[in-house]
Amino acid sequence: MSEPERQNEQEGQVERERERVLELRAVSKSFGGLRVLSQLDLVVHDGEIVSVIGPNGAGKTTLFNLITGLYRPDAGDILLEGRSVVGLPPWKITQRGIARTFQTLRLFLNMTVRENVMAAAYGHTKATWLESMLRLPRARREEREIRRLAEEKLGFFGERLVGYRWDQPAYSLSYANRRRLEIARATATRPRVLLLDEPAAGMNPNETLEIAELIGKLRDDGGYTILVIEHDMHVVEGISDRVVALDHGVKIAEGSFDEVATSPRVVEAYLGVRGAKEEAA
Amino acid sequence: MPDEPPIERRPQESERPEYPDAAQRPRVGVDTWVAEHGERVQRGPLRRAAERVPGWARLLAFVAVAAVFPIAVDDEYLQRVGVDTLIFMLLAVGLNVVVGYAGLLDLGYIAFFGFGAYTYAIVSSDKYDYHWPAEATIPFILVVTAALGLLLGLPSRRLLGDYLAIVTLFFGQLFVTITNNSTDVKLPFMDRARDLTGGPNGITDLDPIDFAGVELNSVPRYFWFALALFVLVVVALHFVNESRTGRAWRALREDPLAAEAMTMPVNRLKLLAFAFGAAVAGVTGAIFASLQTAVFPQSFDVSLLIILYAMVILGGTGSLAGVALGAIVVNVLLEGLTNTDDTLPVVGETPPRLLFYGLVAVGLALIVRPWRWLAVAAAATIAFGFAARLVAEQWWERGTAGRPSQAGRIGDLVDGWLLFPRDPVDIGNYAFVALIASVLVLTLLRRPWRWIALAPVLYLAAFVWENRLIQEPSVTRFILLGAILVGLMASRPQGLFGTARVEIA
Amino acid sequence: MDVLALTPWDDWSIFIQLCVNGVTLGSVYALIALGYSMVYGILKMLNFAHGDVYMIGSFLGYFMLTSGLDGPMNLAVPIWLALTLVLLVAMLGAGLLGVAIERFAYRPLRNAPRIAPLISALGVSFFLQNSALLLFGANFRTYDAFTLDGGVLFTKGIFEAWGKDDAIALNLPLLNMLVIGGAIVLMILLTLLVARTRLGKAMRATAFDREAAAMMGINPDRVIMATFFIGSALAGAAGVMVGMLFGQVYHFMGFLAGLKGFTAAVVGGIGSIPGAMLGGLLIGMIEAFSTGYLPEGSKFQDFYVFILLIAVMLFRPTGLLGRADIAKV
Repeated sequence: MSEPERQNEQEGQVERERERVLELRAVSKSFGGLRVLSQLDLVVHDGEIVSVIGPNGAGKTTLFNLITGLYRPDAGDILLEGRSVVGLPPWKITQRGIARTFQTLRLFLNMTVRENVMAAAYGHTKATWLESMLRLPRARREEREIRRLAEEKLGFFGERLVGYRWDQPAYSLSYANRRRLEIARATATRPRVLLLDEPAAGMNPNETLEIAELIGKLRDDGGYTILVIEHDMHVVEGISDRVVALDHGVKIAEGSFDEVATSPRVVEAYLGVRGAKEEAA
Repeated sequence: MPDEPPIERRPQESERPEYPDAAQRPRVGVDTWVAEHGERVQRGPLRRAAERVPGWARLLAFVAVAAVFPIAVDDEYLQRVGVDTLIFMLLAVGLNVVVGYAGLLDLGYIAFFGFGAYTYAIVSSDKYDYHWPAEATIPFILVVTAALGLLLGLPSRRLLGDYLAIVTLFFGQLFVTITNNSTDVKLPFMDRARDLTGGPNGITDLDPIDFAGVELNSVPRYFWFALALFVLVVVALHFVNESRTGRAWRALREDPLAAEAMTMPVNRLKLLAFAFGAAVAGVTGAIFASLQTAVFPQSFDVSLLIILYAMVILGGTGSLAGVALGAIVVNVLLEGLTNTDDTLPVVGETPPRLLFYGLVAVGLALIVRPWRWLAVAAAATIAFGFAARLVAEQWWERGTAGRPSQAGRIGDLVDGWLLFPRDPVDIGNYAFVALIASVLVLTLLRRPWRWIALAPVLYLAAFVWENRLIQEPSVTRFILLGAILVGLMASRPQGLFGTARVEIA
Repeated sequence: MDVLALTPWDDWSIFIQLCVNGVTLGSVYALIALGYSMVYGILKMLNFAHGDVYMIGSFLGYFMLTSGLDGPMNLAVPIWLALTLVLLVAMLGAGLLGVAIERFAYRPLRNAPRIAPLISALGVSFFLQNSALLLFGANFRTYDAFTLDGGVLFTKGIFEAWGKDDAIALNLPLLNMLVIGGAIVLMILLTLLVARTRLGKAMRATAFDREAAAMMGINPDRVIMATFFIGSALAGAAGVMVGMLFGQVYHFMGFLAGLKGFTAAVVGGIGSIPGAMLGGLLIGMIEAFSTGYLPEGSKFQDFYVFILLIAVMLFRPTGLLGRADIAKV
């Protein structure tokens, strides 16, 4: 590669890095008297993997619910590709390009694995019910397309979710496979940003490693920008370009994993004040 | 640019430790047989055989059999039962869209049926002197009931399931109230009070449907018309259910929140389901009105709603074939239980008796395991009966003074075995209450006592049936239906032909 | 029928009369609504059979009152004792019926799909209605409670002092006062029970989180049973009161009353006890006032109540006194 070419590519890289795909500006939310998030600023750049960490009750899942429109922020703004999504219904936000998984797993349990993924393609298909009822060409074509799309998305997980499993009801899947299916379902909405809520929760060490590997692959092969909540620090260390630590709804640290992990405020949040002192000693 | 950290691409080779004996281990996916085993157990062999037949073939077979029904059965009463059954089947598949697909508890569904019927009555009778052609009336009704469905669905945009139930139930009641009371109404925009709906006397002398040159002037013609409509509706609903819309409905039923997070406009889809159900009910109402040649408010009360729910639930919500079958089973059962006039040729007995004892026998066969206990219970019941009869002949003269109120082979059989008191109404009423109590207690008893108590309870059931219930068949059938619904929910909430669903609260 | 009066200031005696009717009816609806609300609070299910428990309660009242008569509407015991006893026995009977319904129709369905108990409830309702039809016949059973014991329940007296001016001639039976008073006493007792007793505490805990309550040593089955007993007993009391007020009972009366009670619970905020009372009162008042002041109100009372329901659902979906749950994701 010649010098100018490299230069060019680097510049391109910088351009891409600059794009702020998701941006939160001074977002606050309280329930009753309880402030769950206050004045939170967060920027996620194109192609980044950002992890959100923090003790239970720090406001991580609330953050996701705000971004995806399940809750409305009391103050502040949330921008996707520079456009505000505040006030849009959740389905519209997902259509715009933010898809999520759920910490508590909310699959369509009695639908088949394939149908779970196909259902999520609703937002980018157009056939009306009348076209479907009459089996007009567009309805048939779209149906073929999303079928292929679903199989492709499921195929992403290698041998885990292929073959006979496609036609099994989702409830028959193992816990780890349900988590994988949730990710497949989220990607079928054709998102720009993926929000993963504790993707490794309840998995054994082997599966956890696999998930960590998968998240990297989602970014590199799938091209998604990823915001992930995770408790397992090995996973966080392994995948994150950047880590954001929350405590009581406030951002207490941000930076590379090492910076955040050694930040005294983070240690304090996790271990308490005394614990932090002992750690320091 | 201090706040924009550089992106560092990570190596992606697998860090997963390999098992040392990886080559020998079974590959993922070999547990196919195990995974499918669950399904094999859930569905019986008959069910699986039926499912191997493609849907269109099943529909075709049904149509082939049904189409010759009015020719093969040359009896106006039975033909009429056939048309009624088709009307119920149409209503059931329509309700299935709302309840089965989208999972919305719509308790105002009958109002759409009534609305369609009244709309037909208004535009095709002397009441307002409109006589629209059916080619215009039926699409018109389709559209206006769908619009009404949308309107009623509007509050559901913000309502959760239970609130929706109350709004729709009230709406259904409102329909009856309004049609019943709009006899002498002066609304603000009217110059004088008018009779809008005929009140309890309804609207009569409706035109028969005259569709595309074919006048529906006989019951068989109505049958074929309803059958054609049924096929049309089933095919249309099947296609919609297989499409993105149908998938979205099912997703919404499973988890509305997740559906909304997965790009599905939940409120719009709910409204659509409401409109679909309403449109089917409305058109069915038009057929019903024209078949009856009259409409009355009391045809659309809450009893019909419960019957319809019984059909949909019994059949298994969500499956078109299931709810249609449910409609057939329930309607034939309800008709059979009231038909005390005809004696069936071969068995020499009236349908109500056969159905009652048949239901008891089937119920027992489902509950009692192993089946040899059934024989023991039967023998014990027979013995108990003769013993009771002997005792009564000695000490309770009145108890044996009566006779079975209806002839028939079973009637002859039980004559010397059951007690038949003189003036059985009061005794029958007390025995009925005792029967309810003893059946409930029976479900609480432990093993040996349950079998011991079974014989007297069965005897009591026969006593109540022969002395009291058989005289009020039109009430009895609803009592039985209510009891069946409760029993079914406790034992098989997915219905007779439905598949069990998994729900995580 | 023409409209009675267009506005309250046309005739104040009508206004007061309607108020009394509204409060009477409203307190009955409130009693029914309480049962719905309590059961919903604890099981999160709509007990469609509740209205039929009320119907059975009013039949119990009818049979006791008419069988205790000696001669032309003369009771064998003092009237205050008779009424108290009738009320208590009807409450006991309705309460036991409610417990039986819970035990046999709902308890087996604790972990079933959400729609199952609703369908079961519809089945129970249908069963009870038609059983009553079989046992008691299709005709209305009528009696005139106002003539009981020489007509003491029809004393006009309470507002007579105020009614010197003939424009305010009120028809204000003692019976209405008794119904209102009885309902208030029952509601106070219920409030005290829920707020002060161990059972009340257990009920609140179970309503909040059944599993957590079970782990804290509360037997949820027993609490649910008690809830059903209390709720159904209140419905039974309402049944007796309505039977006496309108002088007629019939097998289908539970449906409409149940629907109204249900609406009252939803309007007030389902799960909330003061909400049920407020909702009942509101609906009673609307029904009464619609007969007086709204176009065709005597025929379309239901319509106006429905408008109220829709309005509340649209603008305050959790009911007037209900609290919004935060969706947990």
